[in-house]
Amino acid sequence: MSTDESTLALVAAGSLDVADVEILQQLASLVGASDPVPAGLVDRIGMALTIEALHAELAELHLVGEPALAVRADETSIEAGTITFTTDVLTVMISVHPEADRVRVDGWAAPASELSVELHQSGDVTTVTSDADGRFSFSDVERGPARLVLRRPEEPQVPIVTPQIEL
Amino acid sequence: MMSDDLVEPVDAALREGEGLADQAARAVVAYRDGDRAPLAALVHVMTPLLWHTVRAQGVDAEQAQDIVQNVWLTLVRDIESIRDPRATLQWMLVTAKRAAWRAVRRTREDLVRHEHDEHVTDWLSAPAEDRPDTVAVRSERDRVLWEHVGTLPDRCRRLLGLVALVDRPDYTVVSRALGMPVGSIGPTRGRCLAKLRLALSNDPAWSMS
Repeated sequence: MSTDESTLALVAAGSLDVADVEILQQLASLVGASDPVPAGLVDRIGMALTIEALHAELAELHLVGEPALAVRADETSIEAGTITFTTDVLTVMISVHPEADRVRVDGWAAPASELSVELHQSGDVTTVTSDADGRFSFSDVERGPARLVLRRPEEPQVPIVTPQIEL
Repeated sequence: MMSDDLVEPVDAALREGEGLADQAARAVVAYRDGDRAPLAALVHVMTPLLWHTVRAQGVDAEQAQDIVQNVWLTLVRDIESIRDPRATLQWMLVTAKRAAWRAVRRTREDLVRHEHDEHVTDWLSAPAEDRPDTVAVRSERDRVLWEHVGTLPDRCRRLLGLVALVDRPDYTVVSRALGMPVGSIGPTRGRCLAKLRLALSNDPAWSMS
């Protein structure tokens, strides 16, 4: 065994000490900074797991008129717009109105009934109930990626989930 | 920034003697009992490790995001069939690594088909000189460490880069998932870390900084 090799074997057999832990911690922050986890990935995974757990029906997206709402998180389109989602059992239309640097979301669902409507935004959930005509509204909403989860009174265990939209 | 997630105490993860493997086991058991919160917390602490595991195989950033998300979805879809919840971390790392291999193979085949010789690289899988790492280096000490890590053999670079992201109780699981023998690191230093220690101690720039 060469001197180099025996030195290496000796050091390798030593117990991890404080200096090793410091080196690894410094390395961890270098790894993190050199190739950070993309922004929003953790939230997207959280949302995907939520939907998976709900066994939800995923609504299809239909843009009405100008596609003013971007449907991808990396696009930024902030103009007020109208957007429609449909499934076999429900149609939902929403319009988004800027209010200072936040937005108000007005929505309407058909066939009309008192639905529970959840607005999911990076881990936060706001819940409202639609009126008997199927109208609902969220005010003072932060901009950013969002989804709606709607539950019908007759089948609350099968929620309807919209694709992600950029408010 | 992700590095902050890793060094700041994340309550459950850093409880004395408890590593990600234990936290994952509890999350799986809780999920089956109808409590989804521990798994949601696990997504936060474990996604960085999965991300870097996938990226260390040379997968591009876009595919890596899909792979990591799919590992989580596969976990919840198969959650009832997990026999030993304590093996969850190991299972997820191996699943991530295999999916990454498949993606890399597909990408390479596509590139060959298109007679392209570019290949996907990132620092854990790339030779030292290919690393676009200027952003990461914030001090002279960072630069020296980075340089020496870059000269280690591929296996060592991956092992240390990923082991650095977890606490000691998880060293065995991470090295095993990478296909490295148990004891590659912890309780003793092992050869990879020993090489790095020797290289650093022989570098005046390290002891000076």
